[in-house]
Amino acid sequence: MPSRVLYSIRSCSRISLLRSHIPARSWYSTAAASSTPGQPELYDVVCVGGGPAGLSLVAGLRSSKITSNLKIALVEGQDLQKNVLKDASPTIYSNRCSSLTPASVKYLREIGAWDHIDTSRVQPYQEMQVWDGVSDSRISFDWASASGLALKQPVDRTTIAYMIENLNLTTALLSRLSELDSKLSISSPTRVSSVELGQETEALDLRSWPTVTLDNGRQLAARLLVGADGANSPVRTFAGIPSRGWDYGRHGVVASLRLEGPGWGGEEHKIAYQRFLPTGPVAMLPLPGNMATLVWSTVPERAARLKALKEEDFVAMVNAAFRLSPVDLEYLHTIPEGQKEEVEWREQHTPVDEQKIPMRAVGAQAGSVANFPLKMRHADTYTGERVALVGDAAHTVHPLAGQGLNQGQADAAALVRVIETAVSQGSDIGSQLALEAYTGERWQANNALLGAVDKLHKLYSFGSGPIVPVRSWGLSAVNAIGPLKGWFMRQAAGT
Amino acid sequence: MASLRPLRTTSALRTLSQSTKPSPYVCRRITTTPNLQHNTTVDPSEVTHFNALASTWWDPHGSSRLLHLMNPLRHTFISRCHSSQPDAPPTNHKLSYLDVGCGGGIFAESAARLRGTGSVTAIDPSPEVLSVAKAHAKRDPGLVEMMGEGRLKYLNTSIEELPLPGTQRGRQYDIVTLFEVLEHVTHPSPFLEHLLPFVKPGGWLVLSTIARTWTSWLTTKVVAEEVVGIVPRGTHDWNKYINEGELREWFGNKEGWGNVRAMGVVYVPGLGWREVPGSEGLGNYFFGVRREGEGKGV
Repeated sequence: MPSRVLYSIRSCSRISLLRSHIPARSWYSTAAASSTPGQPELYDVVCVGGGPAGLSLVAGLRSSKITSNLKIALVEGQDLQKNVLKDASPTIYSNRCSSLTPASVKYLREIGAWDHIDTSRVQPYQEMQVWDGVSDSRISFDWASASGLALKQPVDRTTIAYMIENLNLTTALLSRLSELDSKLSISSPTRVSSVELGQETEALDLRSWPTVTLDNGRQLAARLLVGADGANSPVRTFAGIPSRGWDYGRHGVVASLRLEGPGWGGEEHKIAYQRFLPTGPVAMLPLPGNMATLVWSTVPERAARLKALKEEDFVAMVNAAFRLSPVDLEYLHTIPEGQKEEVEWREQHTPVDEQKIPMRAVGAQAGSVANFPLKMRHADTYTGERVALVGDAAHTVHPLAGQGLNQGQADAAALVRVIETAVSQGSDIGSQLALEAYTGERWQANNALLGAVDKLHKLYSFGSGPIVPVRSWGLSAVNAIGPLKGWFMRQAAGT
Repeated sequence: MASLRPLRTTSALRTLSQSTKPSPYVCRRITTTPNLQHNTTVDPSEVTHFNALASTWWDPHGSSRLLHLMNPLRHTFISRCHSSQPDAPPTNHKLSYLDVGCGGGIFAESAARLRGTGSVTAIDPSPEVLSVAKAHAKRDPGLVEMMGEGRLKYLNTSIEELPLPGTQRGRQYDIVTLFEVLEHVTHPSPFLEHLLPFVKPGGWLVLSTIARTWTSWLTTKVVAEEVVGIVPRGTHDWNKYINEGELREWFGNKEGWGNVRAMGVVYVPGLGWREVPGSEGLGNYFFGVRREGEGKGV
């Protein structure tokens, strides 16, 4: 078991200045005390990373009656107070959006965070249109056509998922936390300088306790150190947990777009679109009003070129991505500019059923076009002695199924439950025995999803050849079989 | 070892009980006449065995893994004992525990961490495992604080040497626990007799042990010690096992004790310990018995 030898490879080199007595304060009930040099502050949970997964974990622990007495510190490198949604315009959206599943929303409601969401900026969608850019075979998802298993639909009978800016979610989690109490120690913007195991003194043995040194000099010793610190997780590195996977050789291009209208179904029936191109899927996901968010995965050179285009050319390329053939698109990526005119001309010769594809983009929000590399990574385990990983620190998934953020929320929910169980049984919440249930609950579920999404990516990366008709047949077959479609939809909805 | 035991079996079954083959038909009656050579019920060979196991006590994948996995069920069972009382325990009363045969402190630590706990006194005759328990508690600042306040105590003593209630420094407890100990005791009857005065009126004696059956011989001796090796060889002596019915009978004859409860548990590889109703007659089981009287209503 790799998790058993985690600490043997860590050396503990810091010279001990620890005092030989423990602080005279009530362990479970007092707020953060000031740090004395050389003596770490003691915490039940130190969560490194204040993204959606980390904040959701901390809010979950604070909301639970069983775990609300735990002494918790949150450390985030960015300034959390600056990264909040305020006075946001209804026509300006962050380019980092996620599709929240009903399962994630249910958890956020349970921990009292959903009430803090700015719901005017959340867009539920009721239908998904997915098609093959090579063969044009198509599948449409909506609860009405997924017949037979209507009883197992989510509570909100028509909603598949909810488009939300990540910022809206983190802002809500932060205001939920400040509503809960002021005892939580939040260090932001503060970076972690190092993580080492603690020292033994006459009274206290912290040799199994990870001790986090912050760039402001504070030292926090953790009964349980949670790595919610992203794909390059320093906590995971400290714990010696390997993370395996591969790079897709693709970048995700994101942008906030303005469309010519609210969508073919109007404000009450929003539709998410995804077209599989040989370079990767391109998705147009609905936001309130005429707004939409783009996620276009493509090869890095094309991503860089798209990002460099003038607005009108970029918008033309987006419209082309949902309309023109892969061959046309390939050509359009080779010209340095003038895509607008090229696309207009080519569209006249490419008949499409406009009602089946997203409404035309008419503008791209300034500064919203960005790109990032796509990867698949999975940590060998999520837990070690006094360490647990959540969210991207544990796994990174291709965005084509919109599941990354939801996996992190499910991780947080599961870890909260495991910690609740440990507290109610008197277990040390940092012990491997208490934590292993968390790996048990989440690893296999995440691995299955990572694998499925990875296979989908590979399946659709063929531009021609025998795979194309087979996958097209498969898509049409699923589309025709209501119960099977219902099953796929419930997977997507996380129910 | 069997020859030293104060067992009184019927003559017809005597030969079976002393043979190496186990039989579920052996009646191990817990006698009330102690036949002690020393002033303790502790078996020195058991102390030696557990001294040797001390170093791996807290290894989550080591020889005590099964005990660690069982620990949550101990709390479940204690809660059930409390909720079976006709008089509900007052919610603000902090419970006092005496954990007899605490070993490395698996149960004592967990009991000490619970919000409803006032104090835990944990005793064990093996000095090595007790030092493991103390060293391990040092890893938890909350427990260190409790030890500083005298609310968590580890004592290297047998139950016989613990000051009796009523004497100086002697006291009674809301809950006296005896987890996976009885099967290591050579003279169970006098041992239990020693324990009883430590239970407060209205308090509980809660124990877990193994029934002496074909199944338990197969699982705890053959499979666990020989085939899988999940339990170190020589940990258990099948002949020392006590059946639930025997305990029930013994307490049935004890005046002032009642509310007997039992819960059978089975270890399922890959899933852990699971409660299986009726399995108290097969192998591992929990047993709880309440001391009658007013007490504090606990």
